[in-house]
Amino acid sequence: MLSPVSRLLPEIPRLTLDEHLSAYGPPPFADVAYDAAGLAPLIVAVEQSGLVGRGGAGFPAGRKMRAVAEAGRRGGPFHSQVGTVVIANGAESEPGSGKDRLLLRRAPHLVLDGIVLAAEAVGATRAYLCVHDDPAALRDAVTSRERAGLNRVPVQVVEVPGGYVASQETALVGLLNGTGSRPAFVPPRPSERGVRRHPTLVQNVETLANIALIARNGPEWFREAGTPFAPGTTLVTVSGTVARPGVYEVALGTTIAALLDRAGGPVEPPQAVLAGGYFGGWLKLPAAGEVPLTDRALRAAGATLGPGVLIVLPQSSCPLAETARVTGYLASQSAGQCGPCSNGLPALADALGHVAFGRPADDMLRWTHQLLGLVSGRGACHLPDGTAGLVGSALTTFADDLRYHASRGPCGRAARLPVLPLPVPPAPPAPPAPDPRTRPEALA
Amino acid sequence: MSRAENGRRPRPRTLKVNPVACQGHGMCIELLPELIAADPWGYPLIAPGPVPDELLPLAQRAVNSCPTLALLLTSPE
Amino acid sequence: MIVSLPGALPTHAEAVVVNSTSPLWYVTRATGLVAMVLLTISMACGLLSSVGYQRPGLPRFVTLGLHRNASLLAVAFTAVHVVTTVTDGYAHIPVQDVFIPFIAAYRPLWLSLGAIASDLLITLTITSLLRSRMTYRTWRAVHWTAYACWPVALLHGLGTGSDTRVRWVLLLTLLCVAAVTALAGWRLAVGWPGRPVARVAGAVALVLALIAAGAWLSAGPLKAGWARRAGTPPALLNHAAGPLVPRVDQGAPVGHRAARDA
Repeated sequence: MLSPVSRLLPEIPRLTLDEHLSAYGPPPFADVAYDAAGLAPLIVAVEQSGLVGRGGAGFPAGRKMRAVAEAGRRGGPFHSQVGTVVIANGAESEPGSGKDRLLLRRAPHLVLDGIVLAAEAVGATRAYLCVHDDPAALRDAVTSRERAGLNRVPVQVVEVPGGYVASQETALVGLLNGTGSRPAFVPPRPSERGVRRHPTLVQNVETLANIALIARNGPEWFREAGTPFAPGTTLVTVSGTVARPGVYEVALGTTIAALLDRAGGPVEPPQAVLAGGYFGGWLKLPAAGEVPLTDRALRAAGATLGPGVLIVLPQSSCPLAETARVTGYLASQSAGQCGPCSNGLPALADALGHVAFGRPADDMLRWTHQLLGLVSGRGACHLPDGTAGLVGSALTTFADDLRYHASRGPCGRAARLPVLPLPVPPAPPAPPAPDPRTRPEALA
Repeated sequence: MSRAENGRRPRPRTLKVNPVACQGHGMCIELLPELIAADPWGYPLIAPGPVPDELLPLAQRAVNSCPTLALLLTSPE
Repeated sequence: MIVSLPGALPTHAEAVVVNSTSPLWYVTRATGLVAMVLLTISMACGLLSSVGYQRPGLPRFVTLGLHRNASLLAVAFTAVHVVTTVTDGYAHIPVQDVFIPFIAAYRPLWLSLGAIASDLLITLTITSLLRSRMTYRTWRAVHWTAYACWPVALLHGLGTGSDTRVRWVLLLTLLCVAAVTALAGWRLAVGWPGRPVARVAGAVALVLALIAAGAWLSAGPLKAGWARRAGTPPALLNHAAGPLVPRVDQGAPVGHRAARDA
């Protein structure tokens, strides 16, 4: 049986600063002077721990901190030192994910510890905590820390407008710069040039909470959980038709079956699980139960780890219909900046509608596959690639259902109540002007 | 900068488009059909890989002609 | 070419006085007219580029290339126009009047329009040559001043120019105005789909500007005595009204100098 780990999410919610301090002690500031050649010890520790970002991209956290620290050391005029910025990304816009909200509610001071410790390590002069909702409680937490002298850099809580792409790292930088909450083209990356042209470290709040624990307990302690290639624990939001949907903390490498068991198991015969959120992929159950929860294993199986999202789909649902609805939602979330995305995603949603709710002919299926190639990698952010990945995974994993739809039309399960969560109500997609070039026949 | 001029191979350069700046004017598609095609909505589809040496001057001309400076000729980092 | 047309210049042989500066004056007028035509071509190609006009035989990069080349040629002809104006000592236009508006002694307002137009032209050219060194937004904001540069240059020509009342010059000017107005109207009709108010306002402004310009033209340069009303220094007017010219107010000047300042 799986013993529950509880590094980040304590059993008893620790809301107040006093409870946090009595449990963890004060944040261990380095207080050491290091010269231009040396890096802060925390950065070395985070690199050795193997911690990767928990926001979905999975970029090594230590490497990112090193890049920002080095950019700060030589980023000013004539290679002088310049202050850097830390952005804590708690703006959780993935509809199937609730872990950041829960972490900020249950252990806000662990996150805030991580912010100020990381700020000290990268030479930051300012920090921002970006959230979608409930900024007031977090502002209170920040104030109580300031009174206790625990915030060595000013931490500003910023409310981010809703929207799937608003929490992308360059979109957060854009929001703080006043240029708009939209993804930007890179280069330059935020670690080179971000808020007001300062090198900026953008990390998910769960990653920062882990950094706060690594600072206290060291990298070896961090590696005690998880696998050698995927160390540590991670928060996973389990939803769909399971008995106890919610956020669970598991060691990386735990199998999907073990986690679903902890969540009470499926309440009706399961068909598949969506792993990785809406940029993830579909895995058929019960075969997928054997897959360990690491990004490498999930990608090998055709899905991703993403921000730690598992959604169980019952057999009574039509997977193509669910995917079509999600594709429509994702298409509506396009920032409208890049032609291939703002044109291609609505076309893809439209095509998938034909596939799921109609009787798709061969040329419609060909056009759908063509669209997958036409949108991938051609936007400023990963919305087009992620959506294409989700759709491609659905078409591959549910090839049988696809064949059924193609020969007999909709399977009737589409009428079941939707399982995949969508914000209510979704913004209607802005339809592109009808263009004869977008008809499938034009591409023969 | 060609092979003949200095006897050494020029650095490999890759064509990339800034999708936010690109508004689908299509000047690059007209000027460099060897490497850039149009997608169904008029936006450029760039052939992957480095630009062949003999096409580098034409690629530079295409970069200069983009009205929004969205086409970029980059060196791999 | 210019000299041989009737109605433009003196018909009496004894009234023809060749002054040592008059070749420069011809070059000033000629290059001014050519610059106006080239600026019009540049505006036209720029507008066609904006609306994305293309034909099988006219790809977009050709329109853009024409726009850039016409602009550079316009700069060259404007430079010659400016140099000959300054070096021609007749009207005493010093070099600072070329760049700084409102300080000239000769037809201050209308000459200043030329100074403003050439300042704008220099800025447009330099920013376009250095496009890759600035953000796209900055370049575009400056480039919008082209919509001011062209009409200002045109009004300068009509106000300062010696040939405004010459029939074919007037026709040429009206053709230029018609071309740019039509294309600008097309641009308003097809562009900025999300801003109907701005487009309507632009169209209204365009029509009002045309009407105002037409009214000014008929009440101003096309009426006799414009030279004096435009601010030609009295010394030059008196010189023009000297023994060579019995009457200046009949629209048919008889001497070189009178023709220039009518």
